Amino acid sequence: MDETVAEYIRRTVLKIPRDEIKPMLQKWGFLSEAQLQTINFHQIKDNISQDVVQLCEENSADIKQAAVLDIIYNHIYSNKRVWSVYQMKKTGNETELFDLTDFKKKFKRQLRSALKNVTVNFREYEDNAIWIRIAWGTPYTKPNQYKASYVVYHSQTPYVFISASVLRSNLPLLCQALVGASNYQDIHEMELRSHSLNSLKDIVFKRYSQNFQTYHPRPLQERNVAPENADLRIIHENRNEKERIQRVTLEVFGDGPQPKLEFAQYKLETMFKSDPKMGVLDNKEPFRCLVKFSSPHLLESLKSLAPAGMADAPLSPLLTCIPQKARNYFKIKEKKGFFPGSFVSP
Amino acid sequence: GVFAHLEALEARAYEAAVKQEEMEQREEKLARLKARVQELRLQRDELRAKVDLQQRGQLRKEGAVLDPVQPSARAVLEWKVKSLKAMLQLFYLTGISGKLTKRGVCFCISTAYEGTYLDSYYLDLLIKPEVQIHRHSVPIFIPLEQIAKKYLQTDLRRFLSVLFDHLNAYAGRRYQADQLQECFSAQIEGTLQRNSLCNLLVFKYSVSRKSRTFPFHARLCYSDLCCSLPTEVVVSCTPEAPTSLAETAAAHSALFRSVALHKAFRSFSSAEDT
Repeated sequence: MDETVAEYIRRTVLKIPRDEIKPMLQKWGFLSEAQLQTINFHQIKDNISQDVVQLCEENSADIKQAAVLDIIYNHIYSNKRVWSVYQMKKTGNETELFDLTDFKKKFKRQLRSALKNVTVNFREYEDNAIWIRIAWGTPYTKPNQYKASYVVYHSQTPYVFISASVLRSNLPLLCQALVGASNYQDIHEMELRSHSLNSLKDIVFKRYSQNFQTYHPRPLQERNVAPENADLRIIHENRNEKERIQRVTLEVFGDGPQPKLEFAQYKLETMFKSDPKMGVLDNKEPFRCLVKFSSPHLLESLKSLAPAGMADAPLSPLLTCIPQKARNYFKIKEKKGFFPGSFVSP
Repeated sequence: GVFAHLEALEARAYEAAVKQEEMEQREEKLARLKARVQELRLQRDELRAKVDLQQRGQLRKEGAVLDPVQPSARAVLEWKVKSLKAMLQLFYLTGISGKLTKRGVCFCISTAYEGTYLDSYYLDLLIKPEVQIHRHSVPIFIPLEQIAKKYLQTDLRRFLSVLFDHLNAYAGRRYQADQLQECFSAQIEGTLQRNSLCNLLVFKYSVSRKSRTFPFHARLCYSDLCCSLPTEVVVSCTPEAPTSLAETAAAHSALFRSVALHKAFRSFSSAEDT
């Protein structure tokens, strides 16, 4: 077995939390159950990884198997990476008969024709997600396995999720291969980024909770009405207002969990409007300003602002339009008349 | 100063308390009267029923047609509400139901396949300045934009009908593929190769549950997105296979084109058992 492969497998196993090593190796399926039984998973990780490498040696692992283990790791720990969303466009209307084998062939061929030194591996998951791992080299060097790019694509959708490595120079080639293999014509990056891959999927696939009005009595998911205060001496003076805020919040955010985003960024390119007498930067140049909201779970925190009394309800559409507009990077320019959202540049 | 302010507040509190009391008294009175109305109505209904019975008895004797008893306004209203609720439930069960919203309509499209209710999808439409989709929860791989472009402005009914067909067919295809994967996994090599729309399935299978080899290779294409049966089926086996197998493959090709996938597999199992 190649030394570089051995080292790569060793380092990959070291990344895995100790309790997860055995399940992940089982998922990998490259080592037999009998072989796994011979490993003591209670020793220090260094030793565990050495044992694993030893067994892989016996099975003559090559880079392909090592890459699959890496994909499995990144699939489970996808929130360790930042994912961007790309949107593809095409003009044709033909019914898509997406053939997986065809897609993989085309993708590999396009990449390899432009760059010989690439490692490309695929893994499909039950939810129709196709994971692609690409390790990039140059015409003169072998692929760098430690800086691989990951692509997640759901067939017959126009969205691709990419966690590019530091080597952004390979991005155009990657995009070209994607477009060619999936029968689209054009691809561009959306202004949507997050650590949570599933939340990004929820947003663009419209799987997040939206509050639709229907007659059909939805199973009233225990919308826990806070139990009436047993103490009659306490009167809620602003009960109406509280109920109004709850109602408005529910209308805007729905009653399910929100997609998980870590930040929203607003780049202001608007004129500074000051008291004309002060003459400060008055209408001379746009006042460059960047407002960034950060949170471990931005949308949930926005949802709780009004009920917590920290903001007025309804919240600014600039904040609440995030899932619907599928973006968390905004550029706000000057426009006559305040039309929230419509003056946001694409 | 502060005292004047306190006095003013006190006066206001007093007024509010008085108003509160008046309101409570009024409510009590209202509740009492309502109860009385209920009692009287009950009595009236009972009497009416008696009269009705007598008249019908009379009718059978005389064979004459009598005017139907004029129902009360309240009974009419109750009946209307009941039948409306039944109508809404009916619409929901048929698959397309809608509710008027402030700015338009919100439709709910429910999918089902062979008696099993599957997922529901929503469309929030705006009516002005023209009919447009405000929000929706339709899966991204359903060609919603295309269908909307064709029909949304001109023929809303057709738009809903076409979308309904797409969603139901997709639900049906997915249901068959899921059933195949879940119930007949022993007869399939590895996992079923499919795609988001479930309109291309490729798999190797055997007819017998105990077989170790999978002699048949199937490729099912569903080019018609509104259909839950394939438009094209190719079942093949290796060239060295005996002719009997080749004949079975041909038979299966025809079978898969006309019968739901999981049902076809069920028929293999029952054939094997007999």
